[in-house]
Amino acid sequence: MASIALKSFVGLRQTTSENKSIVLSKPTTQTRRNFRINASKSSPRVTGRNLRVAVVGGGPAGGAAAETLAKGGVETFLFERKLDNCKPCGGAIPLCMVGEFDLPLDIIDRRVTKMKMISPSNVAVDIGRTLKPHEYIGMVRREVLDAYLRDRATTAGATVINGLFLKMDLPKSTGSPYVLHYSDYDSKTGGAGEKKTVEVDAVIGADGANSRVAKNINAGEYEYAIAFQERIKISDDKMKYYEDLAEMYVGDDVSPDFYGWVFPKCDHVAVGTGTVTHKGDIKKLQTATRLRARDKIEGGKIIRVEAHPIPEHPRPRRVLDRVALVGDAAGYVTKCSGEGIYFAAKSGRMCAEAIVEGSENGKRMVDESDLRKYLEKWDKTYWPTYKVLDVLQKVFYRSNPAREAFVEMCADEYVQKMTFDSYLYKKVVPGNPLDDLKLAVNTIGSLVRANALRREMEKLSV
Amino acid sequence: MSMAIFSSTPPTQLPTLSPPQTKKTQFFYKPYFSLRPTKKHQYLVPIFASADEGSGVAAVKVEDEKASENPVSAGENLGSNGSPPLAAEAPEPATAELVESANKFQDPRWVGGTWDLKQFAKGGKTDWDAVIDAEVKRRKWMEDNPQSSSNEDPIAFDTAIIPWWAWIKRFHLPEAELLNGRAAMIGFFMAYLVDSLTGVGLVDQMGNFFCKTLLFVAVVGVLLIRKNEDIETIKKLLEETTFYDKQWQATWQDETSSKSEKN
Repeated sequence: MASIALKSFVGLRQTTSENKSIVLSKPTTQTRRNFRINASKSSPRVTGRNLRVAVVGGGPAGGAAAETLAKGGVETFLFERKLDNCKPCGGAIPLCMVGEFDLPLDIIDRRVTKMKMISPSNVAVDIGRTLKPHEYIGMVRREVLDAYLRDRATTAGATVINGLFLKMDLPKSTGSPYVLHYSDYDSKTGGAGEKKTVEVDAVIGADGANSRVAKNINAGEYEYAIAFQERIKISDDKMKYYEDLAEMYVGDDVSPDFYGWVFPKCDHVAVGTGTVTHKGDIKKLQTATRLRARDKIEGGKIIRVEAHPIPEHPRPRRVLDRVALVGDAAGYVTKCSGEGIYFAAKSGRMCAEAIVEGSENGKRMVDESDLRKYLEKWDKTYWPTYKVLDVLQKVFYRSNPAREAFVEMCADEYVQKMTFDSYLYKKVVPGNPLDDLKLAVNTIGSLVRANALRREMEKLSV
Repeated sequence: MSMAIFSSTPPTQLPTLSPPQTKKTQFFYKPYFSLRPTKKHQYLVPIFASADEGSGVAAVKVEDEKASENPVSAGENLGSNGSPPLAAEAPEPATAELVESANKFQDPRWVGGTWDLKQFAKGGKTDWDAVIDAEVKRRKWMEDNPQSSSNEDPIAFDTAIIPWWAWIKRFHLPEAELLNGRAAMIGFFMAYLVDSLTGVGLVDQMGNFFCKTLLFVAVVGVLLIRKNEDIETIKKLLEETTFYDKQWQATWQDETSSKSEKN
């Protein structure tokens, strides 16, 4: 069975050649799947015009993908249904994103350099001492960031279409185009929009957690968390405390499998929480989060309430023929921290780069193998990050004692340094083995102590 | 002050902020004899306190608290509380506002956001067991009555200050005794059984590789499986470690197998 042959992919694809050898053992009964062994660079299919690619969704993933495609000489259509969409989002971007995407510093509202972790029993630990002066976590407004990336795509030559993607017709034969049906709003609000179609050769689905493109290609479902957030305007002197500080609250009262947060935004704070397993209790969890932060947000006025699904893991299928998913649509949100903006933009860019390369700057047709190259590169580069965060979530968000141990560990300077280094630069750095050993011992010690206390607590209640 | 207790919603405009204390409306009033002998100030107010002895009743003593709220002087505190026998050198954290402080964790040994180890002295040395007990009570109380985390009195207690041998003595040793007892019983019984079945004595059994393997399995089993449920737990844990990997690999496998079915 071909699936068994492919099972040798264990976490990390080693080299492309391994991929090719696996492909060779595939049975040839599947005629529809032209799984070319060689890159499509030697594909005989050459187009007489530039390759046409549709990017559905104009968020960070779509904007980054469209820009890279347009720069690479591909005819790009970027579909976005609401150009001024104020997405509910934590809004945190790591330092490396600013450099990698050449973001101007003025779209960053705030630079967070301190974080406070608060345990279930309100033990508070400050982290951020190890940050260098030029390092920070950027807080952005999604509407500002998204618009900026889209504008850059337009400047590079992409066509932004203000419309809602409805569905797409899959091609009947290899080489025929995808037909996208959409409602063209053309910046008119309120109207139903004109039904139009467009033919493209490849599609990048960047339309977020409830992706329609994903539905069209039967990408499968994923588990998702509900993130619920209230934007609260607090007084100036209370706002001063959050000048460059974000808070994370952990505890069963705040979230059984995630955390509650207070993130500073441009002139207000966002207080929220999330959960996968107890979605029905989200309001109760939010109340508990507000209670834990009560002293610091007292007197505040809620100016907006928002909620959004956050994928927990990638969809079973991320690429089909000449359609690829990126960003939240693919499910590239990390566990533990729930971070998605950087990964969305980066995956959009990576997918676009794969298309540009596979089509030799828009001169040739692409096929699935080119898109699979993007998947391969993505999995290889970021799998360690995702796996480490998954392990952290499994170990430290399990129960209240685990969370207490987590906060205790955060007080350690080595932990802070490792955490911030890997968060800001998105690279899992091994670090000093001796320090790692000490860290492991301390972690186990913390967990053992917290669990021992927990068992005593249970004796009390009995 | 009692008014503040009943209307414990803080004066904010935050909608739907229900006081969490309403969860536990039990007026559990244990005679708080060890620390506060002045019973005449105590009365049965339906305070939403947990069953915890120390902190629960501390919240009940509303009128007393009022005097101690003002961060005036330690002496006045001791005076109003009837000079408890314990050497409570420092006053309770009294910097919070009146409304919230009634529900904060109160304990005379909880000073400045951590346990004052001097108050746990027993025979010249710190009584670590008592520290552990106190922290357990505090965590239980905090879990039942989630509190707002405040910047004025941050909590900074780290369980690492309790030395490792105190943990071992209290938690590890009893369980180790249990497990060693189990291992010894299994070992004796199995040695007897094997000897009666094969005639191989204990010393000769130790030389045999198969017996050594059995011994290893028995030891590991006793360590890992302490309750019947542990078998299921271990199976689930093993599955959990690879679950995320499988989710990521799905796009590589699904692509050939399910497509062929679809076609």
